[in-house]
Amino acid sequence: MIDRRDFLKLLGAGALAATGCGRDAGPRRIFRMNLLSEPPTLDPNLGTDNVSLRVLTNLMEGLTAYDENLRPKPAAAQRWERLDGGHRVRFYLRPDGRWSDGRSVTARDFEYSWKRLLDPRTAAEYAYFLFDVEGAADYNAGKIDDPAKVGITALDDRTLEVKLARPVVFFPTVTTFMVLFPVRADVIAKHGDAWTEPGRFVGNGPYQLDSWRHEYKVSLRPNPRFRRRPANNGIDFFMVNERTVELTLYERGDLDFAILPPTEIPRFERHRDFRRTPMLRAEYYGFNCRRAPFNDPRVRRAFSLAIDRSVFPRILHGGETPLSSWIPPGMFAHEPAIGLGFDLDRARRELTQAGYPGGRSFPDVEVAFNADDERKLVAENLQSQWGEHLGVRVRLRQMEWKAYLREVSADPPPIWRLGWGADYPDPDNFMNMFTATSGNNHTRWASTEFDHLVAAAAVEPEPARRKQLYDEAQRILCERDAPIAPLYARAQNYLASPRVRGLWINAMDYLYLETARFAAGGDA
Amino acid sequence: MIRYVSGRLLLGVVTLWVVITITFAFLRVVPGGPFDRERRLPPEIEANVKAKFHLDEPVPAQYARYLGAIARGDLGPSFKYLGRSVNDILGDTFPVSAQLGLLALAYGTLGGIAAGLLSGMRRGHASDRIVMLAATTGISLPAFVVGVLLILLFAHTWKLLPPALWEGPSYRVLPAITLGLAPAAYIARLTRSSVLDVMARPFVTAALAKGVGAWRLALRHVLRNAVLPVATLFGPLFADLLTGSFVVEYIYSVPGMGRFYITAVTNRDYPLIMGVTIVYAALVILANLAVDLSYRWLDPRVSLGAKEADA
Repeated sequence: MIDRRDFLKLLGAGALAATGCGRDAGPRRIFRMNLLSEPPTLDPNLGTDNVSLRVLTNLMEGLTAYDENLRPKPAAAQRWERLDGGHRVRFYLRPDGRWSDGRSVTARDFEYSWKRLLDPRTAAEYAYFLFDVEGAADYNAGKIDDPAKVGITALDDRTLEVKLARPVVFFPTVTTFMVLFPVRADVIAKHGDAWTEPGRFVGNGPYQLDSWRHEYKVSLRPNPRFRRRPANNGIDFFMVNERTVELTLYERGDLDFAILPPTEIPRFERHRDFRRTPMLRAEYYGFNCRRAPFNDPRVRRAFSLAIDRSVFPRILHGGETPLSSWIPPGMFAHEPAIGLGFDLDRARRELTQAGYPGGRSFPDVEVAFNADDERKLVAENLQSQWGEHLGVRVRLRQMEWKAYLREVSADPPPIWRLGWGADYPDPDNFMNMFTATSGNNHTRWASTEFDHLVAAAAVEPEPARRKQLYDEAQRILCERDAPIAPLYARAQNYLASPRVRGLWINAMDYLYLETARFAAGGDA
Repeated sequence: MIRYVSGRLLLGVVTLWVVITITFAFLRVVPGGPFDRERRLPPEIEANVKAKFHLDEPVPAQYARYLGAIARGDLGPSFKYLGRSVNDILGDTFPVSAQLGLLALAYGTLGGIAAGLLSGMRRGHASDRIVMLAATTGISLPAFVVGVLLILLFAHTWKLLPPALWEGPSYRVLPAITLGLAPAAYIARLTRSSVLDVMARPFVTAALAKGVGAWRLALRHVLRNAVLPVATLFGPLFADLLTGSFVVEYIYSVPGMGRFYITAVTNRDYPLIMGVTIVYAALVILANLAVDLSYRWLDPRVSLGAKEADA
C-alpha cells in the first residue's frame, strides 16, 4: 500500500516528467541546449547556417569529420588517396555504414547528393563548395546539362572518385561540411521538399530525428543502426531566441549548455562552468580602395597603423585576440609577425606623405557598420583612436543588417566592417575571399600578384613552401596594399554543466555531441 | 442582415487586397533582399536561387503570381525556412499565439471589467484608488519590463513558475499575465468611466429611489450599459492578442507567430511577411465585424448600416 504522502510524491514526479523539466527526477541523460532559432533547413544540401549545422552534424556524417586538431579524420569514408598529383581523390567507404532505416550507405548516395547540390534546380547557396571539381561550376551555371560530365563518380558501392579541375590540397577537409553529407534519392523522390520531417528523415549519423516541433524544439535520439552508441540518450535542441533567457534556463538547470551573451561574460568569467574556445572567426575593417582618400595605400596604411588593437579584449570582454594579419590563430599559416601593428610615428608619416599632415584637410569620411552593440562599441573606439592618433574625424553610420550588406556589396562606404568565419579550416578559405573575382571582396582592390600567390598556395602540397606563399600574400594584403585592417579573432564563451563530460566545441563552432556523457551521481 | 454582413465581407476583401498590395510594394522598395548574406553568393548561384523563387521575374509578374496563389489559399514558400510553406509555418505557430492570446484576453477582459465595475461603484474609496493605481501602472509599464519583473520574482526569486519555454500548463501563466496586463488595465479604466457615466443617468437614480440594491443594480443595469465602449475596444484587442505579441513571445520563448513581425522582416522573408500581415489584417476585419454585430445585441437602439438608420 502507498500512503497519501507517497502518492503525492509520485504525482509530483509524474507531473515533472510530463513537463520534461524534472531536475532531480532520476537519471536524465538527454543533453539539452539552445539553438537560438529554428533551423532554416535539415536538408544538408541546402544548409548555410550554424543552426542547421548544429543539428545536422549530429544527425549525419560526411566522408570525413574533424579530429581534435581540426584535421579530417575518417568518418563515412575509411580512407582516401590522392592520385595523379592530386587531380583525382578516391574515397573508400566503410563497409558497415548504415542509414537509419537499415540500408547501406553507398558511394552512390554521395554521388547523388553532391550532384544534387550542384543541380541548378536545387538552388543550393553553397554549391560553390564543389566548384574545384571538374565540370561542377559549369553544371551549376547551366552551361552543361549532363551531370555525367561532372567529375563525381561512384566507381562501385564503396568507392567514390572525385576529379578536381584544380588539385586543391584541402579537398578532403571540405567533405566534413554539411552540404556534402549524403542524401537518399528514394526518400527525396517520395516526399519532395518535406522529406526532412520526423518519420520521413533518413540519416546516417549517430542520432536520428525523433521529433521536430517547429519554432520550439528538435529532439534527436540514438540511431540504433549507427556503428557506435552515443554516450548519452539523446539531444533536445530548444529554440530560445534570446541569449539572456537561455542563461536563465541554464542557471535553473533546464539546459546543460549555454552560450554567454557578451554582456554577461564578465559576471561568469570566474564561474566553475565557464569555458572559452578560440574560434576561426575574424573581424576586419575594409576600405573602399577606388574612392579618395582611400585609393591611396598610404592613407590605408596610416589608418591601420594607428589602431591599438590591444583595446579590443578589454572593451569587448569576449576573449578576443588582436589581429593584424588576416589568417587567424589556430589555422595553418597564421603569422602574427605580419601586419601593420600599432606604430604612431609611421602612421603619421604615411598620412603626411599622402598630403594630410596632422590630419589637416582630411576629407569627411564615413564608417558604416550594422547596428549591433559590439559593432557600435568597436566603431566608436576606432573613431576616437583615429581622432586622437591621426587627427582625423570620421563619421559613424549604423545601418540595418540586410540594407547594410546590400550597400557594402553594391556601393561600399569609405570604411566598413565585416567578419569572416572559416567554412573549412584552411587558409585558402580566408585568403581566397580577397582575390579579384571573389564576390566577398568588397574593397574594390585587386592584385594579380596576390591572386597568383593564393592560387599557387591552394595546390601546394609541401607545407613549408605553402606557408611561404601565404606569408607573401598576407604581406601584400595586410602590409603593402592594406585594403583591409584586420582587427581581432573571436572566441566562443559558454557555460557547460559540470555533470556533462566529454563535451567539446571546436574552433569551427562544431559540437559533435555523441561523446557528451553524464557523470554518475547527480549534480557535481 | 445577410445583405449587411455580405456587404461588409466584400468590403473586407477589398481592404485585404489593398493591404496586400501596399505591403508587396513596400517589400520590393526596402533596400536589402532575402539572399543578401555576409557570405556573398556567386552570381550564378544567386541566379539559381532567384529563379527557384521566381524573383528573377519582373515585379508585376511576381505580383500577379502572388495574387493568383493567394486566391487559391497558398501563401507561398518561406525564403528562410527552406522546404516549408508559409501555410505550414503559420499553421504551426498561430494556434500557439491564439491559445496564449485567448488566455490573456479572457483574464484581461473579465478582470478588467470586474475591477472597473468595483472601482466605479465605489468611487473615491480605497479600493477605487488601488484599482486605478494598478491600472495606471499596468498601462504605463511596457511588456518587456513586466515580463522581466515577473521572471525575476516568480522564476528567479521564488522559483514558483518556469521563466520560459512552452511545456505544461504552468508555462502559460507568466506569458498570459504579461500579455493581458495592459488590456486589463485599459479595460478597467474604460469600464470605470462608463460606469460613472451610467450611474449619473436618471434611470439609475430612479432605480435607486425604488430601493433596488446597489450590486443588483450594478450587475443587471449598469454593467450592460457600461460594457458597450469596452466592446468597441474588443475588436482590435482580439486581433492583437490572438496573433501574438513579439515582445511577450520573445521574452518567454513561446513558439507563436508574434516573433515573425520582426524576424521575417529582418530576414526579408517576403512570403512570410505577407502571410503574417494577411492573417493579422483578416482578423482585424473579422473582429470589427463581430463587434459591430454584437452592438445590436448589446444595445437594441443601434441599427446596422446607414440606410437602415435613415429609414
